[in-house]
Amino acid sequence: MNSKNKFIFAVSGIILVFVVWVYWVSTSPGEGAKSMVEFISIEDLEDDYENERVRLGGLIQDGSIQISESNLLDVHFMLDQDDESVKVHYTKTRPDLFKDGAEVIVEGVYNAGIFQADMLQTKCASRYEGDLRDESDYNMDEVEI
Amino acid sequence: MIPVAGAVSLNLSLAFGILTLFSIGFYIRNNDFRLFLTGQRLSLASSGLSLIATIILTNELIIGNFDLDYVAHYTSNETPIIYKITALWAGQAGSMLFWLAILSLYAIVVVLQNKREHITLMPWVIIVITIVQLFFLGMTNFVTNPFEPTNADFIVMNGNGLNPLLQNPTMAIHPPMLYLGYVGFTIPFAFAIAALIKKDASSLWVKTIRRWTLVTWLFLGIGIILGGWWAYLELGWGGYWAWDPVENASFMPWLTGTAFVHSIIIQEKKNMLKIWNMILIILTFTLCIFGTFLTRSGIMSSVHSFTASGLGPLFFGFVILILIVSYGLLYVRRDHFQTEKRLESFTSRESGFLFNNVIFVVMCFAVFWGTIFPVISEAVRGTKITVGAPFFNQINIPIGLILLFLTGVGPLLAWRNTSKESLIKNFTLPLIVAFLSAGVLLALNVRGNAMMTLALSSFVFTSIAIEFWRGIRARTRKFDESILSALFQLIRKNRSRYGGYISHLGIVLMFVGFSGHAFDIENEWGLQIGSKETVGNYEVELAALSEVERPNHYAYIADLNVYTTAGEFVTELHPEKRIYFHRDPNPDKRQPHSELDIYSTLVRDIYSIFTGVDPKNKVGYFKIMINPLVQWVWIGSYFLIIGTVIAMWPVRRKKYELE
Repeated sequence: MNSKNKFIFAVSGIILVFVVWVYWVSTSPGEGAKSMVEFISIEDLEDDYENERVRLGGLIQDGSIQISESNLLDVHFMLDQDDESVKVHYTKTRPDLFKDGAEVIVEGVYNAGIFQADMLQTKCASRYEGDLRDESDYNMDEVEI
Repeated sequence: MIPVAGAVSLNLSLAFGILTLFSIGFYIRNNDFRLFLTGQRLSLASSGLSLIATIILTNELIIGNFDLDYVAHYTSNETPIIYKITALWAGQAGSMLFWLAILSLYAIVVVLQNKREHITLMPWVIIVITIVQLFFLGMTNFVTNPFEPTNADFIVMNGNGLNPLLQNPTMAIHPPMLYLGYVGFTIPFAFAIAALIKKDASSLWVKTIRRWTLVTWLFLGIGIILGGWWAYLELGWGGYWAWDPVENASFMPWLTGTAFVHSIIIQEKKNMLKIWNMILIILTFTLCIFGTFLTRSGIMSSVHSFTASGLGPLFFGFVILILIVSYGLLYVRRDHFQTEKRLESFTSRESGFLFNNVIFVVMCFAVFWGTIFPVISEAVRGTKITVGAPFFNQINIPIGLILLFLTGVGPLLAWRNTSKESLIKNFTLPLIVAFLSAGVLLALNVRGNAMMTLALSSFVFTSIAIEFWRGIRARTRKFDESILSALFQLIRKNRSRYGGYISHLGIVLMFVGFSGHAFDIENEWGLQIGSKETVGNYEVELAALSEVERPNHYAYIADLNVYTTAGEFVTELHPEKRIYFHRDPNPDKRQPHSELDIYSTLVRDIYSIFTGVDPKNKVGYFKIMINPLVQWVWIGSYFLIIGTVIAMWPVRRKKYELE
């Protein structure tokens, strides 16, 4: 084998090992594949995905946030997606932008009517993309600079 | 009035850019040198006008002209002046202009620096740079114009203000650094395309772009590190890297760029790997544009939430165009860039570089795969899939460890071929150290990836130390110098080599920091004043809870005392829960923000987040994390940066200094 072929052989070998490795991580039931989670709609959730780890996106229904009296970290809220909605339970630290109407992504497992989330992300702060404030909306005198 | 001048500057800049292309195009046809000189001046004028537009927008941001939509969206009367300036790159239109401004700055430097150099290449270099500029000029002029007036039907008295998360000094410099890196790769790319067109396979232009590439690569690296640092200090999830699409977007060109800064050494020294280097630089530049595309297109859901926009297809088209034209050109010209010299042996420095390159590209591909997998999956199977950090970790840790190993091996290999004797001589000590540390780590019950990382780190550290020690010993014997002055002279006389070693040392230290992640512990609970909870080997007590109103926010401040479980006092921590825009009558517009407090030592960080407050019952909710070894990531970064600066520092060309 001449030296050029030797190197082509070695590099191809590396690439082959790599491809097998990517395939293995993507499909074998390890940590890596577990973190590849399907993003589904609430409609599909109730039919096909009970007890399976999935992701949902939607809006927090206005007035639906119920924070436990004894543990501020314990929260229930309704996640809206067009006409569908589902009850979500979450017990970890909530992002600062968590509030009524916020767009959130939750990850967890659906079981017996409740979506038990262990990951919750808020999407962009509407404040920074929304309407501009007008005078009536904001009292300038109160602002100290 | 003045904003109009900004918009007009952008128009004119576009016009001058087009004229540059015509002028230089005609020069290439007619060979009338005056046309080339005109082209240079037109290019300078176009770049200058883009800079003027940027300065005008910055000025509007500072004076708070809310008649401009961009100014009204990203600043407010309460925004401190420094963050009014940084609002320049907070939104889409501004960041496009900012991209353009940096590219224009670079273009001016390149044109002036090479007025009389690379006469055959420069016309094409200017053409390539101008085309990239025109793309961004087209964007800022027609698609997302930062000088767009406000379209509200009332007079805007106050703007929206900058997101408090972005009101942080690190965040003020992270995007410019990243952009300096992204944009800077345009220059080596332009030289590479010019060389392809002119069939210039000499290594002359390689010398010119080597320093450019190092500077650019350094900026990109600093940008990435600052991003991680900011996330760690500000975002409050206790980590510095999440494999978010936008992070990946900056990491991918860094990976191929790192491969390029290594393999370009081979081209400079041995005139080999010329086609490979072309592939790398084209890939790196494309990934830079692709990165901007990922960030700005809204194709990915990301913590870097930018709104979806019409920019996506345009960017995508540009990326495809670059790929087709560049690689097509490379294919057509491939015969001119073949090398006669061949790699001779697996155990040579050259093949060390080659394998390092292959692994970097492989890693880049792994990151790319994970990043675009959701898009592919949605297109092919119709299901949306998100790819989480564990996937990236699992796939990249072994690749990273191989790279770490090669960092130690490469410098110990000789050019062309390494004899068996010198292999044994060079590798014995590092291997002994590696196995010894593996043994000690296993005895300490450190296993798995963390054990591998630390053992390999000790291997690389030893190999670097040996290199330094040999150099120092040779000097102390030859010149009768003290060890310190020998070290200083050694680095001074051989900057690129020892600068490189110092960077490698930085990488080793960063890996040590990464390994600490395996031992992270966290806990979260509500605390009443005087009560205690445990996390790992620590106890956290809430000593007091106070409130204060500050100019632009309202803050709840916790006084936490941290003790070891043995009862020994460790530190006080004062995380805050802040409410920005607390005076806003509309509660929806008030914005809570958690200000962290971190007790940082070389061994571990104690990271505290004030997650929520119940003022009525005087209960504070906290998340405390124990993150071992994180500081080594930052220390390693300093070494990486210092080493790179040493490696690229210009050498004074004095004849008598040549040894």
